[in-house]
Amino acid sequence: MNKYLIVTALFVLAVITGLLIGPAPLDSTILQLRLSRVVLGIFAGGIMAFCGGILQGLFGNPLVEPYTLGSASGAALGAACGILFVGILNPLFAFLGSLGVGFFVYTIARMEGGLLRDRLILAGVVMSFLCSALVMLIMVMGGRELYEVLYLLMGYLGVIIDASNRWYYIVLMVVSLGLVGFLYRYYRELDIISQGIETAAGLGVNIERLSLIIFVVTSLIIGITVSMVGAIGFVGLVVPHISKLLFGAKHLRSLPASFLLGATFLLFADTLARVLTVYELPVGVVTSIVGVPFFIYLYRR
Amino acid sequence: MLRISQITISHLPKSRILIIVTLLFFVVCTNTPEPGMRVVSLSPAMTEIIYALDADVSLVGVTTLCDYPPQARNKPKVGDFSNPSLERIMGMQPTLVIVHLPEQRRIQDQLERFDVNIFVSETRTLADIYAEIRKLGTLLNRSQQAESLVHTMQADLQPISPARRKRVYIELSPRPLITIGAGSFLNELIELAGGQNIFSDLDKDYPIVQQEEVIRRNPEVILVLHPVAVGSRSGWDNVDALKYDRVYADINQDHLMRPGPRLVEGFNTLREIVGE
Repeated sequence: MNKYLIVTALFVLAVITGLLIGPAPLDSTILQLRLSRVVLGIFAGGIMAFCGGILQGLFGNPLVEPYTLGSASGAALGAACGILFVGILNPLFAFLGSLGVGFFVYTIARMEGGLLRDRLILAGVVMSFLCSALVMLIMVMGGRELYEVLYLLMGYLGVIIDASNRWYYIVLMVVSLGLVGFLYRYYRELDIISQGIETAAGLGVNIERLSLIIFVVTSLIIGITVSMVGAIGFVGLVVPHISKLLFGAKHLRSLPASFLLGATFLLFADTLARVLTVYELPVGVVTSIVGVPFFIYLYRR
Repeated sequence: MLRISQITISHLPKSRILIIVTLLFFVVCTNTPEPGMRVVSLSPAMTEIIYALDADVSLVGVTTLCDYPPQARNKPKVGDFSNPSLERIMGMQPTLVIVHLPEQRRIQDQLERFDVNIFVSETRTLADIYAEIRKLGTLLNRSQQAESLVHTMQADLQPISPARRKRVYIELSPRPLITIGAGSFLNELIELAGGQNIFSDLDKDYPIVQQEEVIRRNPEVILVLHPVAVGSRSGWDNVDALKYDRVYADINQDHLMRPGPRLVEGFNTLREIVGE
């Protein structure tokens, strides 16, 4: 009971500090600006951590996350292609990149019958490398768009919200959260799969179908998220582990906790970055610099 | 072309041919600053300066970004600004290659292995621009033209000292927000025109800044040098430039971003906007 309170309190604290602390003196317009940033932070941190948690559960591998499965890099590649060829940042491109690369990874891992879990992570990492290389190529080919692509790779919460994109963002967030809710309904199946594939199959879980659903839906969510704030690394990998350390392996609890902890972590990292410098740092840089020592500390305990 | 001239020439009496050839020789001589000089310019600003110095006959290669004056478009291309092709550059058999730093450090390193003179253009201040014009004038045997170009520019860029300087914010990109710091000649140009760059305390040339920082510094004038509209940005309502409708988006960015002769036009635009 105590743990839930602490996590919730930390989340509330993260939201409040995110709203109150910053370079400009607080007034209603600044509050409005910070509110949109905080909402984006909650959304992005929560989504990345949730997707990491659900993929780790599905594939029984602690290294699986949107990045190592290739989905996040694929989304960044798709979005970068969109910027280069169409001139705008389009979620459709990010989704297609995410889904395309994810599907490719899945196909490689599925060869010779069943899904080979070790091969999945290897294929994912390899495809991530390929996508990063292609994004670099696009960066070299493009001129002024270079920075936009760079921030797409590292995450960027400083997006300008105006009349032209406000509703667009709201709709995409609602859709993504709806899909997160949809995925959450599979928590029991995920618990069973964690016991072992054979047991799960014996208990009547259609692993093949479940894997496909989770794969496609997470790709869609990650594609949307990346098109909005870029590919924020680290959160999806580490936060689910912390969540499991605190709340155990049952997905009913660990998944919502992942979401909340991911949001909290990203908000704190972003607030810190905003206070430390007048420059806009890519938020992925901050999450990694702050997160890695924290993770090592937790893991050694 | 060649065939036509041969036909024309064969129909003319010999004495006339001699006169024409002599005249042509003089025309060619007076237009060639330094015989055998073959210049490849990888910098659009330097290309403009070469034309302003009337030394374009020596110019044998440019980048796809070199679009001014319009005749520069007809020069052979050696690639784009960020990725010029080493092979195409060397294919022009240049005696002088102009590179612009920091963007072209890589190609500079590659060129250094060859037996070719490299002119390094690195313009962080207006004084750098003047010095480079003079240096290029000497190299191209156009010292006088260079001197007079510098004098004209200096005469046109007369500093304005208003009673109060307006706070100016220049936006080069909306995502992320990229602006001008003290390390850019544009910062100097804003101050000459009577304004005050809100990010002149940052010593970088093109810093990436936070939205909130822009709002806190509350610019009175915003110059938008990218195609995305600055309209109803959330949280920007109290920024003076937006409140008093002083956002300017229809500015030719080449007049401000290219460290060359057309900075004078950029300066005049700035002066009108800031001085109002």
